[in-house]
Formats: sequence, structure tokens, C-alpha cells
Amino acid sequence: MKKMLFMMLALFVGVSASAQSMPDVKIENQEGKVINTTELVDGTPMIISFWSTTCKPCIMELNAINDSLYEWLEEVEMKVVAISVDDARTVSRARAMAKGQGWDDFVCLYDKNQDFKRAMNVSLTPHTFIVDGKGNVVYSHSGYTPGSEQELFEKISKLK
Amino acid sequence: MKRFLLSICVAVAALLGIQSASAQVQVGKGQLSGSLESNNIFYTADDKLETLGLAERPDPAFGSHDFLKLDYSLGRFSAGIQIDGYLPGLHGYDIKTYQQRDSKLTGFFTKYVQWEDSNYGVRVGDIFEQFGNGLVLRTYEDRALAFNNSLAGARAFYNFNNYVTVKVVAGLPRLYDVRSKNLVYGGDISLSLSDITGWQNGMLSLEGSYVGRYQKDLTTMALFGFTENYLNMVSGRVNLDVAGFSLRGEYARKLNDDIYNININAEQGEVVYVDLGYNYKRFSASATFRYFDGMQTSIEVRDQAIGGGNVLNYLPLLTRQYTYMLANLNPYRGCSAQTGHEIGGQVDLYYSLRNPKVRNKYWNFHINASLFNTMDHFTPWGDKIEGRNAWLDINADVERQWNKKLKTTVLYSHQRWDESLNHFDSIDAEYCTSDIFVADVTYKFNKKHSLRVEAQYLMSNDYEGDWVAALVEYNIAPMFSVYVSDMWNCEGTEYNYYPATDQNELLHYYQVGASFTYGRYRAQLSYGRNRAGYVCSGGVCRFQPAYTGVNLSLTASF
Repeated sequence: MKKMLFMMLALFVGVSASAQSMPDVKIENQEGKVINTTELVDGTPMIISFWSTTCKPCIMELNAINDSLYEWLEEVEMKVVAISVDDARTVSRARAMAKGQGWDDFVCLYDKNQDFKRAMNVSLTPHTFIVDGKGNVVYSHSGYTPGSEQELFEKISKLK
Repeated sequence: MKRFLLSICVAVAALLGIQSASAQVQVGKGQLSGSLESNNIFYTADDKLETLGLAERPDPAFGSHDFLKLDYSLGRFSAGIQIDGYLPGLHGYDIKTYQQRDSKLTGFFTKYVQWEDSNYGVRVGDIFEQFGNGLVLRTYEDRALAFNNSLAGARAFYNFNNYVTVKVVAGLPRLYDVRSKNLVYGGDISLSLSDITGWQNGMLSLEGSYVGRYQKDLTTMALFGFTENYLNMVSGRVNLDVAGFSLRGEYARKLNDDIYNININAEQGEVVYVDLGYNYKRFSASATFRYFDGMQTSIEVRDQAIGGGNVLNYLPLLTRQYTYMLANLNPYRGCSAQTGHEIGGQVDLYYSLRNPKVRNKYWNFHINASLFNTMDHFTPWGDKIEGRNAWLDINADVERQWNKKLKTTVLYSHQRWDESLNHFDSIDAEYCTSDIFVADVTYKFNKKHSLRVEAQYLMSNDYEGDWVAALVEYNIAPMFSVYVSDMWNCEGTEYNYYPATDQNELLHYYQVGASFTYGRYRAQLSYGRNRAGYVCSGGVCRFQPAYTGVNLSLTASF
């Protein structure tokens, strides 16, 4: 255990910052069609938020982003991508919930066997990323406390 | 205790050390990314739980589940490793109960190399794969359950013009901390009729799968008349999406007998799964029906149970998993462990009432109901047992965002279950009901400070009677959160299922905790008493024995 932890420590301390590009993974859209995640990269910066129907803070975060979205769009060009990590058991509930919570302005995608979640190294949800127009991950945050959506807006505003 | 302190020291040092690292590492032209998750519990003494016979302090009084994952990618090429450490496994987890290696500390090492274009790809190493709804094959990881059944082998896929996608996979599944010797192999084909015919207004696809398993060792099972090395399973699916309406249907069956529980008649398994969805503006509905019999498929057929990790396909519980503690107190655990089958379904209705121009004022309504039954069947000894209701849950919640500052949620749930089916395949039912009421208020003082309060009450005629619970959480965005909660068994427990004492105790299950988040790094520390009960994740439940302890959870990624 010690060896493993110290190896990890050395690795994490020794890293230098650089932009991560978004991995290309197959994922289902709202209509059930399989698309590649790199198709999301179209020059518009985006917030990518991983959520599930059993994750209360995830839903709170997406609702808070939805509440502020029009105010943000007046100041910055951006889009919001909500990635449900619900599996076959709850994916239909997730599709219904996305529609029934009024997330009409989000791009909703469904990562049924968590391939994109694994590729993005997400351990716990909610986990939210900011990706620039070229597909580089420039910021990420895990967990949600009411008000922390403001930080996302501040970070994405700086991309201009 | 030493290990616990070491974990804390290393974690704090790591958190301090990685502040400079905001993103991933560039290695040559490629990129290295990774994540670390560490969940630790130090079990403290609790005289009350021990006196009542509800818990024994585990020895050693420490458990730790650690996951270190590293991925390297260069264009279409990627490779990675993951080290899982159970140092030792946490009390009540199947990885600790059923670990196959003879050592207190155990772990597992996985790796892969992969080359993937958008139209074809090959992966060698550990494979996570799901065919359709997972009814014949699902290999995945759920760290909340310490579950991982990834296949060590190879996978390839080819997609022609979006018309047809073919996948083949073969490998040896992971069984807790060892690799099974049973080979699993299969193929999946998907035909997109909408793409083939150029239909623009919707999506229609037909799909099919085959999965086989070669049982290498029949020595012990031959005693039970199990002589077939090969198990074959097939599945057919249809997916339709048009004008807000969706249909997902799947039928799967086993082509030969597969004894998965020697107490249940072994039949050729089958499963029918139908999922319907509809949405119009801000109204949406979803309904799921599922019937299965004898379809649970093990990685290894054994003459004794070896827990929830010995599973190859995915037949999860379809009931609602709540985010409130009392609503999740007595979750549905399924009746198939006793009967081998289950029939039932669930319905969700969502509606959002809002003025599109005013974003901070709206109502969200949600109604959910689920009903699962057993069917007429015979025991291996020839007794007929009539089908009956195993679980019923009708619940509704209403969320109201009043303004930028105030949000309230109320939830009501009526749950009814047959307690006898939680223990054995009984001829007589023993129904219990619970009615749960929840109020949840969030108030934002300003952009950073907020308070969330939950009040919950559960009325029940089960052996534990009524409960009351409360939670207070104070948040300072985006970094800090502290909470305190208590679940109080205010009516008292009759210990008829855990018959250590007849003392009528009014037990408190308290928790106090704090979390700290800095970008990609998060630490959560809590202390409290935890009730014995079923903890569910992703439709799979595990029994968690009662314990009191300190819980430290750390996650980091780069």
C-alpha cells in the first residue's frame, strides 16, 4: 500500500500543467443514435457535466446552470452538455427527466456503460468540465455546492 | 490506525503537491491523464451497537478501497492501467467476504492497449462491454459496490457507413481479486434501418447478440447433474424513436440449462424487456416492463453462492433509488434470489411548469410507481407457490424554485413489500408498508453561502416501526460543505430478525461530515453510526452491517 501511495504521490507532484484534449468515445444522444464525443467540438466553448438520476447534487447543479443560462449567454457564447451516466436500468428515466426538467437548451447524451466517464477519469459525480472551442479541457470541478456554478461562468468567460 | 493516519498524511501531501497541476501531463506527443480514488473507514468502538448484538467491531478496525488509474493517449492510440487496492476490504463488501486470495490485503491490476477510429477499433487487455441492455452481457465497474467483472481478452468492432456495426469480444472475466478460468465470448450486430433507408424523421434499428461461456471446471457441479461445459445465450432487440415516442424492446434467452442456484428449479432462462418513452414539450413519460426467469448468469457455476461479484449479465432492480435516507431505508431487494424469476414494471411521469422567460421560478412535478410480482411456480420439492405481489411503490415529488434564493421540495412515498420473500421462497406472504414524508429546503444567502435542511418521517408497520430524520447542510461555494444528520428509530425495534436481545432501544444513527473541493481534488471526512441495511448502487444492493466509524474519501484527477 505504501509503495502504491508514494508512487502515486510522486506522479501527482511531478506533473506539469498542459491542456488535455477531449477523448473520442461513442455515446448515445437523446434520440438513441450513437455519436462520437469529438463531434461536440465545433468552435463553441462548452460546459460538460456528468450526472445521474440518483445523484441529487448533479441535478441541483444542472438546474442552477439552466436557471442562469440565458444571463450567461448574453455575455458569452457557450453550450452545455449534460452526460447521464445512468446505465440500462435508469437511462430511460434519465431521458424522461432531462425533458421533464426543462433542460431544452442542453445537449443531453447518455453514457450507458460509462465509457466516456472512464475516459474522462471521472470518479464521483457531479464532475463538471470546461472545454474550449478546440476541444481542450481547460478546467474541471467535482462536487456541487449551491453557487459554485458561478465559478464555471467565470472560467468560461475568460476563454474569450 | 497507523494505516489510517498514513493514508491521511499521504492524501494531504498529495493534495498540497498537486495544486500546481491543473491539467494533464504531456509525454512526447501524447498525453497522460489519471485519477485516484481512496475510500477509507476506521471502525470505532460502539458499545451500544455491540451490546444489542447489532454490530461487532471488525478486525482489523480499518478498511480501504483505493483505485489508481492512468491513461496514455496519442491520436487514435491509447493505453492504460488501473491498480485496485483493498487494504483490506471494507466490512460488508463482497470483495472482503468472497475474496479468492488468501491474504488480508488484496488487489487487482488491469491494463489495456487500444486503437480506435470512428469506424473500426481493436482493444486488447481489460474490456468493459455491454450488449444492448446488458441482459446477456455486461462487464463494468461500480466502485460503490467494489464490483468489477471486466474481461481480460480482446474486442474488435467495425462500423460500415453507419448502416451496420459488428462487435466481437472474448476474454476471461474478473472474479473479485482473481481472473476466472472460464472463457466468455460473444458477438453483437446492429443494423440501422433508418440510415439504410435514408429515413430522416426518426431512428429505427434492429440488433442481435450471442454470448457463450465455457465452464472449465465441472468437478464439483457434476454432483448436481451439471455436465455441460458450454452455455449459449442469444438476444434480439428493436429500437425505435419517432416524434417524441421511443420504444426499446429486447428478448433474450439461454439455449441450455444453467444451474445458478441449487435451491431453484433450473429452467432455460428467458427475459422480456420493453421500455416505452414519450415526451411533448416539458411533459415526459417513461414506462418499463420486464419479465425474467432463470436468466441470472454467473461467471462461474459453483455449488455455493459467492456473492454479487459472480455475475456476467445485468438484471438490475428497476425500482426508484431515492436520494433521501428514510425513503431508501428498506429498498426492494428483488425476489429472484428466492424464486429465480420476477415480473413487473415501473412508470415515471415528469412535468415542468415554467415561463421560458423567467428562469428562476418554476415547478417540477414527478410521479413514479413500480410493481413487481412473483408468478405461480413449484419448489424443487414439488410444492406449488402461487404468484403474488413482492413490491409496490407509489411516490410523488414536487420541486418549487420560488426565486433566486429559495427552493423547496416535498416527497411522499408509499412502499409495500413482502418481508417473507427477503428471507425464503415462502408460501405465505408477510406484507409490510411504509409511508415516507420528506421536506427539503435550500436557501441561498448570497452567491457563496447557502443552507439546506431536510426533515423526514417514516411510518411503518415493519419490525422497526417509525423513524424520524433530519439533515442540516451549510455550504460555502465552491469549496466547503459541512453537514450533520440524524436518523432516529423513534418507535423502537422488535428484534425478531436479529434476535440478540428483546430490549426495546430507541437508536440514533447520527452523522457529521465535511467536504473540501479544490478543482479536480476532493476530500470528504465524516463520522457517524450507520444502520445495518441494504445499500444500493446502480440497481444492485449489498448488505451493509451496522458500524460506527470515521470515513475519509479522497478523489483526484489530472
